[in-house]
Amino acid sequence: MSADHKPAPGDARDVTADSGTTPSVRRPASAPSGPVSEDTRLAVEIRGLVDRGALDEARERFAELVARHQRRASRIAYQYLRDLSEADEAVQDAFVKVFSHISSYREAWPFEVWFTKILVNGCLDRRKARMRRDRWFVGGEVSRSDEARASAASAPANPEQQLLARERRARIAAAVDRLDGRQRTVFMLSQYGGRTPREISAITGLNESTVRVHLFRAARKLRGLLGGRS
Amino acid sequence: MNFLAHLPEERLFDCYLAQRSGETIDPRMADHLSDCEACAARYADLARFMDDLCEDGACEADALFTPERLRAQQQQIARRLEQVGRRARVISFPGQLVRRTMTAPGSHSAPRWVAAAAAAGLFVGVAVGAGYRFGSHPVGLEQTLARQAPLPARGLNPAQLSADDAFLSDLEVALERPHTRELIAFDALTPHVREVTAR
Repeated sequence: MSADHKPAPGDARDVTADSGTTPSVRRPASAPSGPVSEDTRLAVEIRGLVDRGALDEARERFAELVARHQRRASRIAYQYLRDLSEADEAVQDAFVKVFSHISSYREAWPFEVWFTKILVNGCLDRRKARMRRDRWFVGGEVSRSDEARASAASAPANPEQQLLARERRARIAAAVDRLDGRQRTVFMLSQYGGRTPREISAITGLNESTVRVHLFRAARKLRGLLGGRS
Repeated sequence: MNFLAHLPEERLFDCYLAQRSGETIDPRMADHLSDCEACAARYADLARFMDDLCEDGACEADALFTPERLRAQQQQIARRLEQVGRRARVISFPGQLVRRTMTAPGSHSAPRWVAAAAAAGLFVGVAVGAGYRFGSHPVGLEQTLARQAPLPARGLNPAQLSADDAFLSDLEVALERPHTRELIAFDALTPHVREVTAR
């Protein structure tokens, strides 16, 4: 690799190393095989349009992909960042990056995996940036207000139940935050991203059996921290 | 694996992952779960815990990312995508001034013309100033030397000068003397600089 080579957003990168160090470059695990998904077909079509210079049409088709993956991406980003605005920006950035680098997309990887990888990399970068920022500034106010808003919006109208729901979510968030970097990433991709261990293996570059072990350990630790039940 | 004993936690978790991913559970473990009430209860407990975590997280994020917000996000993404593939715009500073200068007719010859006019004005100014100086106020060498020579002290006689010296000397002594009473004795014993130099 030449010195000035800039890796594309979906390049193999250790998305599990988020403990303040620069993520290392890692050879990806074998891409999951299987039937090509509708999203992957669409991504390939968009790539062709971009290559032909039909950008307007490519943008129109890309809007379909955005609509399909937006909600899941928002869930993952919010659980990573615990801040509504920042999660919103992270999701936007991920989609823009995907479109900008669609020419480097290869259909050997399912589109969902490629996109999730870009999203998680962005979230990890933002977490690191926030950690650096928090050394100098007082943070966390926005997150707390977001949590309160989420509880108020999703919990029943009963104030007591709202309060309990908010406390439970705060406890879960604190417990997830106490997980080891890899365990947290694997857990979030599985639980909030709805990814299978095989897909997580493709996203993170970890062995599938290692993913399973991390998931099991994360679940065991969370049960210990949260007292068996959430 | 001895399936007469209870299933370890790892196996239960494997069953949960398989079920969640839509894969088939190992038939031996499935049989055990259907036969052993204790393991079935543990499995149900684990699955409930994991599902609750998943549901809680999804509900929390969905409550924040409302359909309106997601629509706004889509629009924002579309706006940003419109800029992809376009050449970067260079914004000059200060924008209005530079634009006015660039779009003004004959803007390329104006700076040269202005520079020439400024040079001519400077030349005329220097020439007129020099002529005025040499013409109306001739300054000779003697006058210049006289102006540079120090002015004599006027209105002061030698007696006044010595009185001033004495006053300044007293002032120096007063300033050098320590203010604390305890040190006065030491001060008296210590020879002063002016005494030493006077010897």
